Amino acid sequence: MRRRVVSSQQLQYVQRLHKWGAAFRSLNSSPSPSTTPSFQQTTTLFSHSEFLSKNKRVEDLMPIATGHEREELEAELQGRDILEMDYPVGPFGTKEAPAVVKSVYDKRIVGCPGAEGEDEHDVVWFWLEKGKPHECPVCSQYFKLDVVGLGGPPDGHGDDH
Amino acid sequence: MIESQRHSYHLVDPSPWPISGSLGALATTVGGVMYMHSFQGGATLLSLGLIFILYTMFVWWRDVLRESTFEGHHTKVVQLGPRYGFILFIVSEVMFFFALFRASSHSSLAPTVEIGGIWPPKGIAVLDPWEIPFLNTLIPLSSGAAVTWAHHAILAGKEKRAVYALVATVSLALVFTGFQGMEYYQAPFTISDSIYGSTFFLATGFHGFHVIIGTIFSIICGIRQYLGHLTKEHHVGFEAAAWYWHFVDVVRLFLFVSIYWWGGI
Repeated sequence: MRRRVVSSQQLQYVQRLHKWGAAFRSLNSSPSPSTTPSFQQTTTLFSHSEFLSKNKRVEDLMPIATGHEREELEAELQGRDILEMDYPVGPFGTKEAPAVVKSVYDKRIVGCPGAEGEDEHDVVWFWLEKGKPHECPVCSQYFKLDVVGLGGPPDGHGDDH
Repeated sequence: MIESQRHSYHLVDPSPWPISGSLGALATTVGGVMYMHSFQGGATLLSLGLIFILYTMFVWWRDVLRESTFEGHHTKVVQLGPRYGFILFIVSEVMFFFALFRASSHSSLAPTVEIGGIWPPKGIAVLDPWEIPFLNTLIPLSSGAAVTWAHHAILAGKEKRAVYALVATVSLALVFTGFQGMEYYQAPFTISDSIYGSTFFLATGFHGFHVIIGTIFSIICGIRQYLGHLTKEHHVGFEAAAWYWHFVDVVRLFLFVSIYWWGGI
């Protein structure tokens, strides 16, 4: 890999980083108006909160980001939560208004914990399939699958159907 | 979930390096025992094993670098793995050095009659801690400050300055190793001169070995910084190198206080 040449674009990038840095620190109730922080923690496990500003592209933030790292950063900049469908939650599903569970494939394992409080029950696991709504045998909660991804069998072998 | 896959984890591809590293370790241990017992071919097997291990280390880390920097597999969740892994590795290193310090203090706190009932043992001329040993404690400390400078430069997005700071870090490390070599060369005792020489060279020698590892780690970080791999948002490799460097620093402080200073008066 060749050495990257410092361009005016990069200079702007560095200046922008500075601006955000200052904004982030002031949000964190830092009373000092000075531009340089007295101390920055070295072990920042999650240092991404400061770039949640609007209209920024991955190129501005981390030009070399690629693959899944880039998708993750992009979604964060756009304010989307790409992990949201991992933890389906919502009001108790009925026949009229089923609990919708998103899925990349045509079926997904779902667990029903019952309703809240007194009506809670041990989690009952089941396969929720596309076009086949499921009614929980314990609390009769109603589930429906919403395929948002590629569809097809989830095991990747194609011998399921 | 990542849009092009179902999750934010990194499912690694099959790799030959775990088995090649294991075979290298087997050849190294068997070859090492053979060499120490003067078996024919022991030195050859030991050398082959070490070369195999070094080669595996190189290609395995090269693959990790390709997966993280060039293929983007190291999402935020994935970055936690090497972080926690490295912290646990340093904890194990702390335990390793504790054993070396304990070996020294076990022999020095209640000196046996064989060494004259005194510490340092009778007849052992020790090094003056306030000459090279003290200087060689300040040098790694300064190097630790330089690596913090590099960290701040990376966090501020000052790419060039981070390279300069890492050059300073590595330079101070090399000066340390040079002084340590000089000290070993001029020392009035050897590793076979009583329990003092044994514990002294075991502890300082393993520390010096760790300094060399940390120096290589910092050089790699400097090269990656120069190539633009380390960004303000993602520089796990650098963080691990900095943690390691501070750990080596702390070990040196304990070496100076307990072995050079307290153990030398």
